[in-house]
Amino acid sequence: MDGENSLSVIKLKNILLVTVPDDPGDDIIHELQTKVLHAIEKYQSKGLILDISSVNILDSFFARTISETTQMVALMGGKTVIAGMQPSVAITATELGLHLGKAISTLDVDRALDIFTDNFKLV
Amino acid sequence: MNHSHSNSKYISNFNSWAEQKRFVNFTDEDAALLQKLHPFAVDYADVFVEKLYEHLQKFPDTKRFLGDEKMLMRLKLAQKAYFMDLTSGDYGEGYFKSRIKVGIAHQRIGLPPRIYMSTYCYYMQLMIPQIYSNPTFDVETANGIFSALHKIINLDQELAISAYIHATDEVISRQTEEILEMSTPVIQIWEGVVAAPIIGMLDSGRTQQFMERLLETIVQTNSPVALIDITGVPQIDTATAQHLIDTINAVKLLGSQVIITGVRPVIAQTLVHLGIDLSGIITRPTMALGLKVALDKLSIKVVDVSKE
Amino acid sequence: MANQEAGENPIKSEGDIVTCRKLIRNAAVAAGFGMTDVTRIVTAVSELARNVYVHSGSDGVMRWEILHQPGQIGIHLEFEDYGKGIPDVDQAMEVGFTTAGTMGMGLSGVKRLMDDINIKSEVGVGTTITVEKWGRAK
Ligand SMILES: Nc1ncnc2c1ncn2[C@@H]1O[C@H](COP(=O)(O)OP(=O)(O)O)[C@@H](O)[C@H]1O
Ligand SMILES: [Mg+2]
Repeated sequence: MDGENSLSVIKLKNILLVTVPDDPGDDIIHELQTKVLHAIEKYQSKGLILDISSVNILDSFFARTISETTQMVALMGGKTVIAGMQPSVAITATELGLHLGKAISTLDVDRALDIFTDNFKLV
Repeated sequence: MNHSHSNSKYISNFNSWAEQKRFVNFTDEDAALLQKLHPFAVDYADVFVEKLYEHLQKFPDTKRFLGDEKMLMRLKLAQKAYFMDLTSGDYGEGYFKSRIKVGIAHQRIGLPPRIYMSTYCYYMQLMIPQIYSNPTFDVETANGIFSALHKIINLDQELAISAYIHATDEVISRQTEEILEMSTPVIQIWEGVVAAPIIGMLDSGRTQQFMERLLETIVQTNSPVALIDITGVPQIDTATAQHLIDTINAVKLLGSQVIITGVRPVIAQTLVHLGIDLSGIITRPTMALGLKVALDKLSIKVVDVSKE
Repeated sequence: MANQEAGENPIKSEGDIVTCRKLIRNAAVAAGFGMTDVTRIVTAVSELARNVYVHSGSDGVMRWEILHQPGQIGIHLEFEDYGKGIPDVDQAMEVGFTTAGTMGMGLSGVKRLMDDINIKSEVGVGTTITVEKWGRAK
């Protein structure tokens, strides 16, 4: 699979950073859930950062997966942060009536990291 | 089962033109009569165009639209094609579109509709004798052609003028939008804080563009807090409140937080009476107090150095 | 080069959902829609193409066309399948209604994202959904 259209999962200390490609297909979204849960188990991660700053479409299927994954990660003792949603995606998601469950959002990955390192001022 | 949910902003014009043809009683017979005139109109086209432009040169008002020699040549060619189309016998979608284009082009160069209308009047003055002096047409045919020509010109004018008006409306609505944009500025007032004072009512069109600008500014300035000041909103209804809630939710998805400021007593009363729940949202009576909350959230302390 | 202004794409596999989205994104951007409208349109495509793939139990097709009016641009999209049909369209349009245990936000959401939605469905014959969106021409 080419790098541009696949999922990248990186472990940073006790956090998992997952970068989602711009137009993720259903296969990638399925893969997201299983990859994330396995990695959390393997590394005993305390948190998940989903970097969606490249993502230019978020439909009800993707939203549901994010919301479910957040719940599953919580059951495994971790916190999920969605980083870098584009304005047009946020507007469309709101109009569509989507919600991302218990996931928290931040403007970018730096601010998401702050949440886990306790430097964050807005929790 | 057939379910249609329509909130379309645009009604197709080609259908309404077919309706207009029926309205002026333009029939296939008319189309056939015009086609009979066509070969003569083609023969006469050059003479006609020369006479027309000679006429137009006489008036300073029209002369300024004619330009230099090259431009004049092009105009004459276009004019010739335009009048030859009039009798071509084919009045379908291609014809419809070309007439609309003419109206828009005239609006763009600022050619007043009266000049366009008068040109037709001049055309008729030249054409009528051509029709009635033509030995191949008996009086009945000549009358028919005259009537058909009158109808198609009326249809032409209706199209061009509608397109003209539509294009003018576009300019007005674009300007209105620009004014609205200026009346709802979104500005960074501190590192990490943007502010957006809303003046006037929020309807759905206005909210959409406001939402876009607010979200884009939040991302561009990387601001975790956004102050929306509604001091200048005269009244709030359910729809406006819903727009506000949508905006707040979209901002939240970005990872920023909205503080609503300037909630006047009358607005607070209405919100409660409408049963709109803003309990999850931070609200403050003034922008100054809102800014204080924002700075607290960002752990920024502002000190009065004179008192140190 | 003139941009392509109409076309169609089959919906037979999961991968076709992405193909449809990419096709329409390119067409909408080329037509001059603004970023937010492009996202609204592509999201509606994703919902409707997925519905064909997930719910109809048959193959389907997406047809599209760019529309022009003075000062305006539009896009017309049609999703046709030959599958099981929707017994109660009003119910299917309700927020949260689903027969698949998913979010049930597709049809109601698409209605909010687009200017026009039209659903024709017959049980055992199939479903045709058309949507339209208009924007200011650049
Ligand atoms: N093309 C289709 N063929 C058959 N049934 C459909 C189709 N599209 C939608 N439906 C029905 O409408 C319901 C609601 O669809 P939707 O709002 O997209 O939510 P969801 O896809 O999450 O169920 C579906 O659960 C299904 O029963
Ligand atoms: Mg669906």
